[in-house]
Amino acid sequence: MQPGEPRKVQSAINVTPLVDVVLVLLIIFMVMAPHMRQGPGPEIDLPATAKPHEQASAARIVVTIDEHGALWIDDKAVAVEQLGDGLRAVAAGQSDVKVMVQGDARLPFGEVRQTMLVIEQAGFHGVGLIAERTDLGARKG
Amino acid sequence: MQLNGSTGTGLQSEINITPLVDVVLVLLIIFMVVVPLMLEGYDVDTPRASSEPAPQQAEASQVILRIAPDGCGILDPPAGDGLPSNCRVSLADHEIPATELPVRVREALGGRPRDQRVLFLAADDRLNYEGVLRIVDLAKSGVDDLTIGVITTD
Repeated sequence: MQPGEPRKVQSAINVTPLVDVVLVLLIIFMVMAPHMRQGPGPEIDLPATAKPHEQASAARIVVTIDEHGALWIDDKAVAVEQLGDGLRAVAAGQSDVKVMVQGDARLPFGEVRQTMLVIEQAGFHGVGLIAERTDLGARKG
Repeated sequence: MQLNGSTGTGLQSEINITPLVDVVLVLLIIFMVVVPLMLEGYDVDTPRASSEPAPQQAEASQVILRIAPDGCGILDPPAGDGLPSNCRVSLADHEIPATELPVRVREALGGRPRDQRVLFLAADDRLNYEGVLRIVDLAKSGVDDLTIGVITTD
């Protein structure tokens, strides 16, 4: 609308409600982001440590061990005996696949060690052990 | 140019929020896409358990971090954020308090080339996983690019 011209109908869309909604969504995501640092698989209590490092996000398989020692490859539950075969099947055709282990904080170290041994024997060298930062205060007890 | 909005045409007095909406939408999309991809943790090596020969390294140059239940009683998840204050671990056969780990690991491995900074971890199976990871975290905080080798075989 230019000054001097005759009055026109206001033809622009009113975007104020859109901005409100989007800003609220953005704030929700920014606040939730540090708490959502868990990969696929069942909900577990991640170990809380002081300075975990960012893990590579390309071509990875997440192996979850819950508090009872049950295993998941990404979202699928697998038996312990099928972990190696399952990993090879998922990794087939991909190169440089990194296996991440997210173990429940209440597990004994031996459970995690044995899972790492199976992963090693399936042909994946080196794993990432997933943790969350303590300074989030996200302990679920 | 007519500056008085009350006469006739009315000046456009609203802020142009289109660039703001653009930026915010892009930020929102970035957060939505990236959040599920972010995982934090510790890279560990699992020394070859199979037929492949182990990397040539003199026995004497290997630094082994041992954690035993009688030195550090973390059989259950440690309370709070840290480790029990009486937690003791064995680094290269010297028993030290776990709180000294960053300094001692730097002394032992900080002078080596980056690709030879390897700390082998031998933790008792009964220890709590979270407690072991906190000790790994302490050991890693002393030296950049420290590779943790977990001894996976019995």
